[in-house]
Amino acid sequence: MKRTGHLVDLALGLLLGVSYVVLLVSTVESLGYARDEGFYFQAARAYGGWFDLLFADPDAALTRASVDRAWVTNSEHPAFIKSLFALSHKMLHVEWKVFEEAGTAYRFPGMVLSGMAVTVTHLWGARAIGRLAGVVAALLFAMLPRVFYHAHLDCFDMPVLAMWLVVAYAYWRSLEPGSILWAIAAGLLYGLLLNTKHNAWLLPPAIVVHVVLSRGTAIWRDFKRGRVRVPLALFTMATLGPLVFYATWPWIWHDTGARLAKYVSFHVGHVYYNMEFLGQTYFEAPMPLGYAWLMTFGTVPAITLTLFVIGLAIWAWPRGGQKLFRRLYSPAPKTSVEASLPASDARPLASQPELLWLLCIAVSYAPWLSPSTPIFGGTKHWLTAYPFMCLFAASGFVWVLGRIRLLVPAAVRGFGVAEVGLLSSVIVAPILITLESHPWGLTAYTPAVGGAPGAATLGLNRGFWGYTTGAVQGVLNETAPKRASVFLHDTAQQSWAMMVRDGRVRKDLRGVGSVHGSTMALYHHEQHMSRVEYQIWMDYGTVAPKHVGTHDGVPVVMVYSRPEKPAR
Amino acid sequence: MTLARYAVLAVPVLGLIEAVAHVVFSRSPPELEEWREARSLVGELKEPGDLLVVAPRWAEPNARWALGDPIMTLRDVARPDESGYPRAVELSILGEQAPELRGWNVVSENSRGKFRARVLENPSHDQVLFDFTDHVDPRHASAFEVKGSEAACVWKDNLKSKSGGLGGHPTFPRARFDCPGGEFFFVGVTVIDDHEYKPRRCIWAHPVSGGRLRIRYERVRLGAVIRGYGGMPWLLERSKSGAPVQMNVLVDGRSIGSYEHVDGDGWKPFEFATGAADKEATVDFETSSANVAHRHFCFHADTR
Repeated sequence: MKRTGHLVDLALGLLLGVSYVVLLVSTVESLGYARDEGFYFQAARAYGGWFDLLFADPDAALTRASVDRAWVTNSEHPAFIKSLFALSHKMLHVEWKVFEEAGTAYRFPGMVLSGMAVTVTHLWGARAIGRLAGVVAALLFAMLPRVFYHAHLDCFDMPVLAMWLVVAYAYWRSLEPGSILWAIAAGLLYGLLLNTKHNAWLLPPAIVVHVVLSRGTAIWRDFKRGRVRVPLALFTMATLGPLVFYATWPWIWHDTGARLAKYVSFHVGHVYYNMEFLGQTYFEAPMPLGYAWLMTFGTVPAITLTLFVIGLAIWAWPRGGQKLFRRLYSPAPKTSVEASLPASDARPLASQPELLWLLCIAVSYAPWLSPSTPIFGGTKHWLTAYPFMCLFAASGFVWVLGRIRLLVPAAVRGFGVAEVGLLSSVIVAPILITLESHPWGLTAYTPAVGGAPGAATLGLNRGFWGYTTGAVQGVLNETAPKRASVFLHDTAQQSWAMMVRDGRVRKDLRGVGSVHGSTMALYHHEQHMSRVEYQIWMDYGTVAPKHVGTHDGVPVVMVYSRPEKPAR
Repeated sequence: MTLARYAVLAVPVLGLIEAVAHVVFSRSPPELEEWREARSLVGELKEPGDLLVVAPRWAEPNARWALGDPIMTLRDVARPDESGYPRAVELSILGEQAPELRGWNVVSENSRGKFRARVLENPSHDQVLFDFTDHVDPRHASAFEVKGSEAACVWKDNLKSKSGGLGGHPTFPRARFDCPGGEFFFVGVTVIDDHEYKPRRCIWAHPVSGGRLRIRYERVRLGAVIRGYGGMPWLLERSKSGAPVQMNVLVDGRSIGSYEHVDGDGWKPFEFATGAADKEATVDFETSSANVAHRHFCFHADTR
């Protein structure tokens, strides 16, 4: 019976995940290629060439010269996801022609991994809390506007979220008695997580702390007896993980130590890029310590955050939360809400996923407790925390549902009135905010900060990576003169080339890197890049754009056309 | 206690409020096409010489798109400040007000659709007698590199304009006094980004190595003061690693004041008493620096 229930959960999770992928694919066309995507297209092409050689002549492919020639490209980032991009392009575009656009084929692995994250979020919620909670967690997660944006891209941010989530899930499942396969899976998957993005370095501390806290005093007892009992998954992560990492990243097959050191130092000492926050552009340390918190507040729907706080409070209540609350509010009479909270939790800590979820959230945000951590990537830096926040939110949802059911007349309680009503009310805003954010994902903000207009007034960043060229591709196609040269501003040449290749922009249009000599010019608004728009004004002799790409009335990308006769 | 049981309904209510708030916030600002409606509103109120200011400032590109260059000129959009304008029309949405017009007197107000326009008068308007930035041309000005002897910068009005692009220098205009020393050494009008990333139209006056750059204006109508601003593209200034730039202002060969621009100063004002109002005189601006590397100095000045 229990097994059947799990199969239903799996089927439901797959349905949610696949639906998400379908939604992503169906909305991808209007989303222009972001700056970094261009670099990863280029890398995937290089790796794809190596895979071709590997299939055709393995001996030749495995020579150091061949390996280094292909894998040196974009070697500041590991290779797993870019390898998937390459294979997806080869199979789904070149060979099977599933996708007409090469760019979509490159993006597809990121979408599939995002769908997988939705599935795993559901599975975890369903197993830990209940089926409805699993659905709620998955929906709240899928309907996070920034998650929805990043899920379209051929970048690493959603893949690393998905891999992190699946490793944490495998680790949690491995704690069940006799779960050797989950432990092995955790080790293997951690290797792939290591080979996805450097966020992977933060997961082991979370798991180690989880082990220590969940074992409690037993650890010291074992220690005194000269025994150290480590969960098998932690052992496999420490052994199989690095082996898989090494095996799947050909760049580190040679000069391993030096290349790994270079990889680590690139990220530990990453250069600062510019990021606007509350009207000020930050380009060097110290970075504002409120950044991660306010950006989370402004980009995660308030209802999701509220449910998260409720879910966290319910879990924390019997674990010190109650004591803390009574200490702060000792004269206050006990409220009905307080009385309804659990006084204790009989489950052993190790079997409770909430501690692990909380630790995953904590380590995901931890770097932004330091003023020297760059903020240039906005919310994408701590995306890994979001599925866990949604799992807590689902827990909060279940608690609220329980209280609301008591308010529903007994006669209609069995018809799911409370369930449908509550689910509808908590998901409607995330769905609206998320679907309407497209294709302006990085401009979208929640009503908590006044939406996109409020955020613009507050001086929050409206976008980066120059991806909004996709949102004005129609204007370019319709209005650009024949063989016009288009100043691309922040769009990488490789991204533009992909737009041309995919037929999104006319093939006669030429992307150029300088304003002078161009016939049309794009300006993707970022505060520190304002000077580029001023260059266009002076060079074109006009301050009037031919078109402004707006989201909820907020200007994001300007298209200028060189007048035949300047205005001045 | 019974009422408290219902407190939990705050959660679904919050969810619905958020949905409604999203719809309200996202539909409140005018969409791009709606900005065309602002044309007639502005046309009815704006008189020649009036400044047009958009509030909030982030909406300005939409206004520029809708109203075009005749109403929103580069000179106004990239103004040094508002003090030289006797009147302004504030075009606003979402009930916003332009902070730079705070303290101005409201003369009239009109609304149409999602737009509100107010005519405001400047209570402390100073009439500009001569705007140096408007007169960078051979009829009014000349430029020299001074290193012991003077080498004239040659006026050319058909050069190729050049822009630095992403991370690069401001646009070098087609018409400019071309000085010896390379393409960065010229006198001409361009636009830089100030410390608030606002556009500032100004006279490019990159100091020359081992000497001074002199910009001379003949027969300038003087007022009580010569005042203005100095600055550099903020991208250069903000790292605070360059040498200071000095600018000496002379009237009929006599120094009336010296301005020093240190990295980080931003769009910094200066004002010097001429000591000779209501007459015509020769005015020189001389820029120099101990190390001219990346000293993209640019200034605006006028007489009042």
